[in-house]
Amino acid sequence: MRRLLAFFSLVACATVAHAQHDMAGMTMGHGAPLGFDAAIDPAGNLWVVDTVGEHVRARRSDDMGRTFALSTIVNATGEPLYAEGENRPKIALGPKGELYVTWSQPRKLPWTGFVRFSRSLDGGAHFDPPKTVHTDRAEITHRFDSLAVDGKGDVLVAWIDKRDLEAANARKKPYAGAATYYSWSTDRGATFAPERKIADQSCECCRIALARAPDGHIDAFFRAIYGDNIRDHAFAALPTDGSAPKVERATFTQWHIEGCPHHGPSLAIDARGTRHAVWFSAADGKATVWYGQLAPGKEPARVLSLAGNGASHADLAVAGDHVWVAYHQMTAQGLDLVLRESNDGGAHFGEPRTLAHTDGPSGWPKLVLWDGRAFVAWNPGGTFRLVPTEALLSSGSQP
Amino acid sequence: MKPFMFLLAAAAFAMPAFATPPVALTAADVPALLAPPSKGVRVIALWALDCAYCEANLSALADFRAGHPDVDLVIVATDPVSQAATLDARLKAAKLDALPTRAYADATPDRLNFLIDPAWGGETPRTMIIRADGTRRAASGMLDSAHIATLVR
Repeated sequence: MRRLLAFFSLVACATVAHAQHDMAGMTMGHGAPLGFDAAIDPAGNLWVVDTVGEHVRARRSDDMGRTFALSTIVNATGEPLYAEGENRPKIALGPKGELYVTWSQPRKLPWTGFVRFSRSLDGGAHFDPPKTVHTDRAEITHRFDSLAVDGKGDVLVAWIDKRDLEAANARKKPYAGAATYYSWSTDRGATFAPERKIADQSCECCRIALARAPDGHIDAFFRAIYGDNIRDHAFAALPTDGSAPKVERATFTQWHIEGCPHHGPSLAIDARGTRHAVWFSAADGKATVWYGQLAPGKEPARVLSLAGNGASHADLAVAGDHVWVAYHQMTAQGLDLVLRESNDGGAHFGEPRTLAHTDGPSGWPKLVLWDGRAFVAWNPGGTFRLVPTEALLSSGSQP
Repeated sequence: MKPFMFLLAAAAFAMPAFATPPVALTAADVPALLAPPSKGVRVIALWALDCAYCEANLSALADFRAGHPDVDLVIVATDPVSQAATLDARLKAAKLDALPTRAYADATPDRLNFLIDPAWGGETPRTMIIRADGTRRAASGMLDSAHIATLVR
């Protein structure tokens, strides 16, 4: 009997070891991970980051995504990567041609990760060896990174962080969700300030939206937890002078879920300072992509249901009075890339318009602007495309 | 090295006998999954590896099932069936591996989400109830025993 028990415990150990190994190299998806990000530089060149195995790859296209003239591996030494869904690599461009890249690196245990950063100061020919952004090195959640460059050229990185949850657990105190933290660099990414907390008890699985305000500072919009697992959104300006962020509730859908929505919001701020936002909620069992103009502390203005069942992962961009929202619309026939557009600053939106379709999967859509036009970066089946928002796939639904 | 080899050999030998790895769930399997049971209630418990609330929800559902023999509980992971070893290890750790388990086998997991329930945005955990009379109910988030009882009733 004793021998049998020993045998069982050996098997149990082996299984756990195997599981942890799998977890370290884990991608959350079904096939090659499709997470990507895109940005267009002032010269009109498109930059795309995605992953190839354990490597983050940065590519430049000089013909709006048809071909890539440059392709550089960011992390020469491979490492596990989160590269899917809400946890995808990010790219942001500095004012002097700097390329900044972040991603989240899974650690051995479930839900753990480190936020990683690398930069190129020579136009993407080389990238610095990656470094971990946060000073906290506990083997816990630091992931779902977001990246932005402010009006002064400073680099901001925000992420979801479970150090306060762990501390509360150790004291046997209740703590809902995770915290949201950020750090910044005033020296083009050479060093980062020690991280600061944005908010306690925020959602642990939704991307953080960052956007630049007209005065150049960066605002954050993210899913937070209110009361008993009401998962609405908070808004906060992110100071880079060491002062504490002021965090205010910004959506009031009252969605109660003790779980993981995996639907982060998007934010874009126009020249007048109007904060255009989209977010997902399934309050009362109704899955909805909402649009609104944030008025932190109060209900948003011009709240509009943009899409319902099967719609997800909306992204938003604004130029003047033009507002674009692109999202995934799942149907029984496959995945549609759908656009809704406003020409009057978000007062009214045209009918949904299908721009493209795929029978397979794609990374989440990302809107990029160039010369007053909007394009949707998309990679159905892993093949990158820049879809003009003027495109029309199906007839009869033009606004 | 030798003990390590023995460990691997022991595991390889033992795995098939004890593991109940998740069975692939394709789009073609969804109608059968959603078909009303001949009697009682089918509970479909959708979960994901990257969901910190999911194992607790599965455990609550398993406890409920233990007291209700007319409840048929099926555990469905939205992670790919290629992660069967990881899924199985997590279910084993939560003592849930004796129940029937499935895992997604589709290049587009969002499509399976939609086919299972168009009103579901993919948030996890998700619990779906299908009664013999064909009626369905669903709830997102971690459920306690009272909530489960209300949902199933």
